[in-house]
Formats: sequence, C-alpha cells, structure tokens
Amino acid sequence: MSALVEYLISGVAIGCGFALVGSGFVAIFRVTEVINFAQGTFAVVAGFVAYSGLTSAGAPQGVAEALGVLAAGALGLAFGGAAIGRKHTSPLASLVITLGLAVTAYAGEIAIWGDQPISFSGLQGDFVLAGAHLLRQYLLVIGVALLVLLGLGVFFTRTYLGKGMTACASNRFAAEVVGISVRRMGLLSFALGGLLGGFAGVLLIPIQPLSFNSDIDLAISGFAAAIFGGLRSFEMALVGGLVLGVAESLVGGYVQASYETVVALGGMLLLMLWQARRRVELA
Amino acid sequence: MLSATDLVVRLGSVTAVDGVTLSVERGEMVALVGPNGAGKTTLVKALAGLVRPASGTIAVEGRLAYVPEGRHLFYDLSVEDNLSLGAWRGRDRNPKRIYEVLPGLAGLARRRAGTLSGGQQQMVAVGRALMADPEILMVDELSLGLAPIVVSDLADHLASLHQRHGLALLLIEQNARLAFDLCSRAYVLENGHIVASGSSAELERSEQVRRAYLGVGSTPSKVRSREGDSSESARRDGSA
Amino acid sequence: MILLLAAASFLLPLWLSSANLTVYILLGLYAVTAIGLSLLMGLAGQVSLGQAVFFAIGAYTAAVLSLHGLSTVVALVLAPLLAAAVAAVVGVPILRLRGHHLAFATLAFQLIVLSVITNTPFLGGGLGFTAVPGLGIGKATLSSSLGYAWLTWGLTVVVMVVTLNLIRSRPGRALRALATSEAAAESVGVPVVRYKLAVFALSAAYAGVAGGIYVFFIGYASPGSFPVELSVELVVMVVIFGLGSVWGALFGAAGISVLMQVLNQVGTLHGMPQYMPTLLSYAAYGLILVVIVMFLPAGVLPGLRRLWARRPGGREDPMSRQIAPPIASLRSLLRSTRPKTTRADGTPSPEQTRRQ
Repeated sequence: MSALVEYLISGVAIGCGFALVGSGFVAIFRVTEVINFAQGTFAVVAGFVAYSGLTSAGAPQGVAEALGVLAAGALGLAFGGAAIGRKHTSPLASLVITLGLAVTAYAGEIAIWGDQPISFSGLQGDFVLAGAHLLRQYLLVIGVALLVLLGLGVFFTRTYLGKGMTACASNRFAAEVVGISVRRMGLLSFALGGLLGGFAGVLLIPIQPLSFNSDIDLAISGFAAAIFGGLRSFEMALVGGLVLGVAESLVGGYVQASYETVVALGGMLLLMLWQARRRVELA
Repeated sequence: MLSATDLVVRLGSVTAVDGVTLSVERGEMVALVGPNGAGKTTLVKALAGLVRPASGTIAVEGRLAYVPEGRHLFYDLSVEDNLSLGAWRGRDRNPKRIYEVLPGLAGLARRRAGTLSGGQQQMVAVGRALMADPEILMVDELSLGLAPIVVSDLADHLASLHQRHGLALLLIEQNARLAFDLCSRAYVLENGHIVASGSSAELERSEQVRRAYLGVGSTPSKVRSREGDSSESARRDGSA
Repeated sequence: MILLLAAASFLLPLWLSSANLTVYILLGLYAVTAIGLSLLMGLAGQVSLGQAVFFAIGAYTAAVLSLHGLSTVVALVLAPLLAAAVAAVVGVPILRLRGHHLAFATLAFQLIVLSVITNTPFLGGGLGFTAVPGLGIGKATLSSSLGYAWLTWGLTVVVMVVTLNLIRSRPGRALRALATSEAAAESVGVPVVRYKLAVFALSAAYAGVAGGIYVFFIGYASPGSFPVELSVELVVMVVIFGLGSVWGALFGAAGISVLMQVLNQVGTLHGMPQYMPTLLSYAAYGLILVVIVMFLPAGVLPGLRRLWARRPGGREDPMSRQIAPPIASLRSLLRSTRPKTTRADGTPSPEQTRRQ
C-alpha cells in the first residue's frame, strides 16, 4: 500500500513535469503549427542555469530557479526567431530547424556545464502519507505546475493578449484581418514555450539529474502528453502528462524500471495511430 | 479617402488584378461587382493591406476595416471576444457600442461564434470590423450563402450606419441587384480589369451590364456558359 | 567523369592509413543508408528521424545469427531482409501518420527498439555483443580492412545503380508525384500506400545491409552504437546536398564523414578538453541543419547552382545537374504538409519561376 502511494505521488509529480513540457508544445503549436523539437532543451537549460545560479553565483533558492526559467524564456524567443522569423518557412521546415537548434544547443551546454549529469537539491526533507515516505519536492512540483497551468489558462481565456494568441490559433487569416501580427504572436508563443519548459526543468532537476541530452526524453514525454489533446488543448496535455507519469512510475515500480520508456513511447505511438485512424474515419 | 491607381496584383504567375484604378470618397457607398474569379477578393485584400501589390499605389485616409469573404470569425471564441478582438489596433475594446448599432448581437454575446447561423455570423463579422471604429468599411460578399431576408436585414444595417455615422462603404458583391440598390456608384470588374463604372442608375441602364449581371434580356443558356467560364478563372487565381 | 570517380574511389583505399580506411568504410556504409533515407524523404516525401534503427536491426541480425553459428554470409543476406520486413510491418500503421507526427513516431520507434534491446539478455542487453566474427565463407574470412573497404565500395555502387534505375523507372516517376502531392498522385491512380511502404522497406533494407557489414567490420554492437544522434546525422547527410538525389546523399555522407574526421582531429589536439570532439560535432551538425533549412532549403548544390544561374547572363551548368539531379527539393517536401499557398507578397515563388 505504501509503495503504491509512493509510486502514485511520484508519478503525478513527474507527470506534472511532462505536462509543463507538453504545454510548451501546445502553446507553440496552436499559434504557429510548428512542433518545437527543442522543447526539452528549454528544460535542460533552465535547470543548468538555476544550478549555476545556486553554485557559482550564490543566488538564493527560488531566485536561481526564476533565473533559469527566464533564461529558458529568452532562449525560446531566440529559437522562435530562427524557426519562424523568416517568411514562408513551412511548419515542417521549422521542425527541422528546431531539431538543428537543439543539437547546436548541446555544444553550448557541454561547453558551459560539461557532459556529466547535473542536479541540485530542491525542497529539503520528506513527509509521510499513508505510510509512505515522500519527498517534499514532489509536492512543490505538483503545486507549482498546477499554478503555472492555471495561470496559463487564465492568460489564454481572460487576458486580451492571450485571446489574441487564441485568435491566431483559431483563424490565422482572420487574425491578420483584424490587425494581429501572427508572426509576432508566434514569437511570443515560443517565449511562452520556453518559460513552460523552463518551469519543468527547474522543478524536475532535483528529482531527476539532467544532462545535456536529457532533452530528447523530456521532449518525447512532453510530446506524448501534448498529443493527448491533439497538440491543441492544455487541459488534455495535463491529463496526458499525469497518465504518462503515473503509468511510467507504476511500470517502473512493479515491473521493471527500464521498461518505463517503452510504455511511454508505445502509448504515444498507439495514441497517434488511433487519432490518425479517427481522422480518416471522420473525413 | 480610399483610392487605388494602376493597381496590379499577382498571385504566383497569375495576374489577378491588372491595372485597376478606383476611388471611394468620404461618406460614399460604392459597389464593386463582377463574376466569380474576376479578382474582386484579391483586389480588396490588396486594399486592406493583406496582399502586396506588384505595382500601382493605394492611398487610404482614415481608418479602414474589412469584412472578409466567408466571414472568417474566430469560431472557438465567444461573440464578445470576437468583437473585442476587432479593436486590436484600436483603443476601446468594449463591444457595448456595437450592441447599440447591431442590437441583435447583444443577446448572442456569450455564444461561441461557431454555433451561430450564417446570418448571425455575418453580423458578428460586420460588428468585429466596426470595432476598429472605421471611417471606411469594405465588405466582401455580404450576401454569400445567406437567405434573401437575412441579406436585406444586414443591408439595412449597413445603410443606416452609412446614413447616421457617415461611414463610407465599399461593397464587393456578386449580387449586382443588391449592390446597385444599396450603392450610389459602382465598378464592374472582369478578369482583373475595370470594364465599366458609373452611377448605379447608369449601369443599370447599360445593356451590357443588364445582360451579364441583372439577368435581363439574356437567355438562360448564355448566363450558364458565362458562369462556366468564370468558375474556371476562379480556379486559376485561387481566390475562390 | 563518373567512371573516373568510381575508379578513383576504388583505388583510394590502397593509399589510406588504417585509421582513414575506417573512415572510408563507415563513409560508404553511411552513404548507402543515406541513399535509402534520401529516397524515402525525397521521393516518398516521408520524414524519418529514426532511420538508424534499421541500421541497428541489420547489425543485430548479422551479429546474433553469426554468433549462433550461422554462416556470416547468410547472416549478411538476412540482415537487410529482416530490416525490410520490420519496416514493412511497422510501416503499415506508422506511414498513416503525416509530417511531424511521422517524424516523432519514427524517433519513438527507434527509442523503443533500443530500449527493448537493452532489456533483452538474448540480444546482449545494454552491454551488447563483442567478438562478432568477421565476414567470410568457411575458413576464408575477410580479415583486412582493405577487404571491407572494397566490399563497401561494391555495395555502394550496386545500391546507387539500383536506386538510379528505380528513380528513372515508372514507379519512380509516380513516387515523385507522391512527394509533391499525395492527393494528386492518388487521383491519377498511383497506389500511394503500397509505394510508400515499398520505399520504406527498401530504405530499411539499405540501412540493414550497411548495418550488417558494419558489425562484421567493427566486431561489436551495443545499443549505444546506434543512438538517435546517428539518425540526425543521416538526416543532415541527406539534406545537405539536396533531397531525393542519390549523388547528393553520397556526397552528403562523404562530406559529413570527412568533416567529422577533421573536427575530431581538431578536438583531440593537445590541450583540448576531453569533451571537445563531441562538442564540435554537435555544433557542426546543428548549425549545418539550421543554416541549410533556413537559407538553402533545396540543398547546397542546387542552391549554389541557382545562384550561379542567376548571375548576369548565366546559364545552368549542365555538369552540376548531372551530379545532383534535383528530384525533389526539401522545400517541396516540407511544403507538402500544407496546402500549397501563394506567397503573400504576390511574387512568384522560386519553383514557379523555374517552371516558366
């Protein structure tokens, strides 16, 4: 019983991280129709910057993480400029560009932080729930992730800027008609994607050490979460992230840790195939 | 207040608008008629600044708003949000003033735009354009796909906006009858060229215009063959 | 010209040092794999970010079978067959996906296969196999690198001849239609699904046979030998000189392999940090990919050729056309996911200019 609770809570925490990465995919895809392959890079860079803030710059906990998230947002903006800054770049070309950027970022990450996994301790201590000893960091991850996603929801449905971005997602031509610059909104969505990835990075790095090439795993898991809602719904990205996180955690706990990725990836593949089949039937 | 001189617009290798000169004066209601594929939509897109012309000049004095063909609402947003987004470049984002002009919209404020009927959607599209507080409004295919009674209601609204607020209008219409009834002056666009222009009354008297656009003095078969031609050119310029 | 190139590349191994001979062999094996991927991406219009998986399947097939006592030659014949069979089975569902979905699906498939290998003791687990025997019949084994070099050379020539003929054949022309517009191809009666699957299987077979030779030459195989980075490398090799072009893929593989060798030497110079070679190779791959797709979407050669043709009074150089026939540009492939739109500024796009 206590083992189950432990797996569930840790799965939910990891799943919240996936949901954040996935929301980054959604934020960018909705506005630009681009799949940002470098979504995992934002998380890695944010985690690394926070680490440097804590260790080299001596920034207090909290400030260092905030710096990391902001750095990821800035990186998102820069990547967006390359991926959609030039006119007439098709979405698939943008995907290949972001893939190239992710690989280029490896070089920068290795040069600054080396090629070994990095971690730092987050919220100290643990708590007991139903007989299970759990890290406090799990609660922090879950709490912050839910707050961020809630804020995201408020941003898109309540603020004028957010509605403008939703308008681009809804009908690009109409957005241009009323004078919204779809390209500028696209850049903004990349910055938002960077921030979301950044949150995932600084929250997860105390639980799972990250190395420069952790971005692929993060991106794949985030993509799997985002695909739950067809890359268009933040709520479904959260659901997807939670399902994925808990499933991985249970498989890792009860079957074998090394099968985690197979389950996640297999699930994502099946889901995509099911969606494709449904699209064909509808059409 | 809106004028185009020797305007040429190319879509790929096709010249959709070829040397068009037209103007709309302050507070005037002008129609642009022509068959499907004549280049009307491309022309208004250029006037609205959404398509860059290959040559020629466009001069706009004052604020201009545009109701695109096919309405193009933000279908997953509410009517209220659709309206307020119309003021993206303006200041006043409160759609209340639109409810005064188009009272029918007040009751629909919370509905999702995608769930509305065609006529209601067209009204939202007009309202959204009005949110920019335009001094000139271009409406592309007001009547397309709508029941005659709905069209006449919308036309009444536009006419009263024109009369009460001095709004200048450029009405792009396939339905020449409606266009001539509503507007004082009109241009006829065919294959990217202005082939006729003048007051609505003059044009209505012109034999050529009557035959081609008002269905008077022509046999049905002729009309059909003309439609066949135009649908082909529509495919070519891709605006249909 | 082509014969000269063939002769020169055939004789080249005689003068190469053993380290450079290894580069030569790997170059050939990557070229064969890249030609398959180029066919898939350029002709069938499908993006695969997991092509290295078929290289891995070929390598593991050859390794497992030969380690269980099967003749290495038979094992090498079975390697591409199994890779193609896997592609054919997986391709049925996976090729329904389009564009970015397919890209992620192929990547996911590679990760799944690598994960399964890591978790299966029969397949050597995470450590992989060592002491894979050399290729040979009975007692006569191919022991020198020179032998592998010529074997690879022969394979490359065969694959190129087959592929060039395929491209010029009727199905090849139909496939070109597929790359530009699937709907249009379907409407004129091209069996789209079957052709896509066939190209996918063929590209897997190329990767499989290359993987088989690889494992006999190198002598070991582990999941780490076939990382996602290898798939990305293959994509870079394919896009650099223009998609869908056999020669482009060959030169892409050659150019990248040589570049990486140079970077590796720079990175291991005295006083460089240990991670320098990795860093340099990532920077090179990433930047090449970004720059090519952003600025020369048709690939370096076609892009330069267009610039050359655009100079005052310029005419296209017929030789360059021969070296890199532009079968399908990356631009047209990348565009195929979205309905073709005219450029917003109304100027004709380069394709349209060319057609005129």
